[in-house]
Amino acid sequence: MAQSTIFRGFQENRATIISVVTAIAIISTFQIINPSFLSPQGRITLVYAMSYFLIAACGLTMVIMMGSFDFSVVSLLKLAALICVLYIDDIGLLVIPLALLVCTGFGFINGLLFARFKVPSFLATLGMSLVAEGLALYLSRGFLYMITNRTFRALSVTFIGGLPSIFYWALGIWAVSIFVAFCTPFGRYLYAIGGNPIAASLCGVNVVKARINAFMLSGFLSGLAGVLYMAQFGGGSIEIGADMSIPLFASVVAGGTSLAGGTGGPHRTLLGVILITWTQAGMSMLAMGNDIQLVIFAIIAIGMSILTTNRKSVSVVK
Amino acid sequence: MNDPKKKHKSLLAGAKTIRAYPPLLITIVLFIGFSILFPDRFLTPMNLSSILGQFVTIILFALGPSMVVTTGSLDLSYIGVWMLGGILVWRFTPLLGMAAILVIPLLGLVTGILVGLIQVKAKVPSFILTLSVSAGYAGLTSVLSEGYPRVVRGYEFLTAKLIPYVPTALLWTMPLIIVAVFVMRSTKVGAYFYAIGSNEEGARLAGINIDRYKILAFTMSGLLAGVGSIIQFQHLGGSVPLTLNMNTLIQPLTAIVFGGTLLTGGSGGPDRTIIGTLAFAVLYRGLYISLINPEILQLLIGLVLVLSIVIASRGLKGVTIT
Repeated sequence: MAQSTIFRGFQENRATIISVVTAIAIISTFQIINPSFLSPQGRITLVYAMSYFLIAACGLTMVIMMGSFDFSVVSLLKLAALICVLYIDDIGLLVIPLALLVCTGFGFINGLLFARFKVPSFLATLGMSLVAEGLALYLSRGFLYMITNRTFRALSVTFIGGLPSIFYWALGIWAVSIFVAFCTPFGRYLYAIGGNPIAASLCGVNVVKARINAFMLSGFLSGLAGVLYMAQFGGGSIEIGADMSIPLFASVVAGGTSLAGGTGGPHRTLLGVILITWTQAGMSMLAMGNDIQLVIFAIIAIGMSILTTNRKSVSVVK
Repeated sequence: MNDPKKKHKSLLAGAKTIRAYPPLLITIVLFIGFSILFPDRFLTPMNLSSILGQFVTIILFALGPSMVVTTGSLDLSYIGVWMLGGILVWRFTPLLGMAAILVIPLLGLVTGILVGLIQVKAKVPSFILTLSVSAGYAGLTSVLSEGYPRVVRGYEFLTAKLIPYVPTALLWTMPLIIVAVFVMRSTKVGAYFYAIGSNEEGARLAGINIDRYKILAFTMSGLLAGVGSIIQFQHLGGSVPLTLNMNTLIQPLTAIVFGGTLLTGGSGGPDRTIIGTLAFAVLYRGLYISLINPEILQLLIGLVLVLSIVIASRGLKGVTIT
């Protein structure tokens, strides 16, 4: 009897258990192979690697738990970072609201295309990501730019308690995302729409409005991640975030947010981001190349999507 | 010939064709427009030959996925098959000689079956599954090449010049196009694909073995991508790039959407994709020669894509989508 209770508990929390176990296994493996993995210097590397990632992943999680997909996160991150570096000498710190506004605007168009014009979300966001990339390329003309403004850089690289400030930004955003997902009507609507959009609509949820808001939120968070990314690295070109899209997606599903929608949430994404970015940092510390990392992330992405999908409740998958 | 009735009839047939394929009208308008605007640059044999070359590059990738989209799924694994296949040919040539080129269709076939099985049995959304496959294959390509671009010689006869200004690869592509259109238009399999795409639950109740036909769609798409990649491989100079380029990935998809296929299933097919690809190639080359700075090209292509998906999806007001 007790055994069956344990088994049922495992069944219900399968996604959480799988990600916790994998994360612990990966962290301890790297610590054993490379003893400097969790040293103070190693910790700073790890924190730098995960912070902007976590902010972007929170936005993507909101969209995925609604049952949609946002392709444009990486492009918007790139666009926001480039807007910062291109115009900071002209308008100073006003670039931050400008970049955020542009990205939220892109998110709004994403939402509009999806919710109003009924374009499948991955196709709409794919098209908009092409526009964002084109805009970034047109504005930057492919050159490399550096930031000299110290106030702007201090946003991410001020050290508080031995860790850079971008880490606290990321933790703050993560906490707010959890609050939004669990304690506001908007967050609950997202779960409802992810579970069954028609039922949600019949219950009086304004599905169109909630969907547009979710995409705007995702665009805003991508922009914020881009701004803080630029403050952290201090420069960049159109190549920013080139190999980021697969790891970013992998970190959301590895946390346990199913692509089918209605389950998971930002609280799980932290684990997924730790799993992915720490693996990335650990492999880089062991001098493994970007190419082999890409293979491993692709395998994690596919494997975790298979494991986190509850096949009994899903009938039709495109 | 001058019989007015007959003329009326042929005009009617033309109007009917354009109603069935609205992108055809766009292609003609674009072509005439660019010809009037840039008569000395657009209507040169060189440029027309480039349009055909670009048409081949895109249609070879777009044919397979345009069969899968009729079932409502999406297959983006073609880039991965092409890249990894190309580098495997380089690896196997010392071992197998000329037979090494057959590695690419084999890889395409195996990938198609695997993707189909995972999609159907594990219920993972196909676009993200196949995108991950492509990314993984791209990583493997880079690992296997040890970081250097590898050129394979000995297959030049595939693209040797036969007709002036017509890429020979276009002649090789024709049989593939004919097979794809024939399967979708004139066989039971094609009809079942459309049925699954428009209403999967309904098709299941009608007694169609959904799982089997979906796997078949991915398998055929993989095989087409594999066979197409042989031509593509030589068409683009006997080597493959080592990093995944999102633009190469998106262009075939853009061509499919240009053809008027919305990726929700039940509509479209290879015949539409041919016209969409032609429209895209004409637009791309036209913009390319008319622009002063090429950086803005990508932005314009993106805007046109967004506009065309909005137009293509105008009939979907009452449909639930994700």
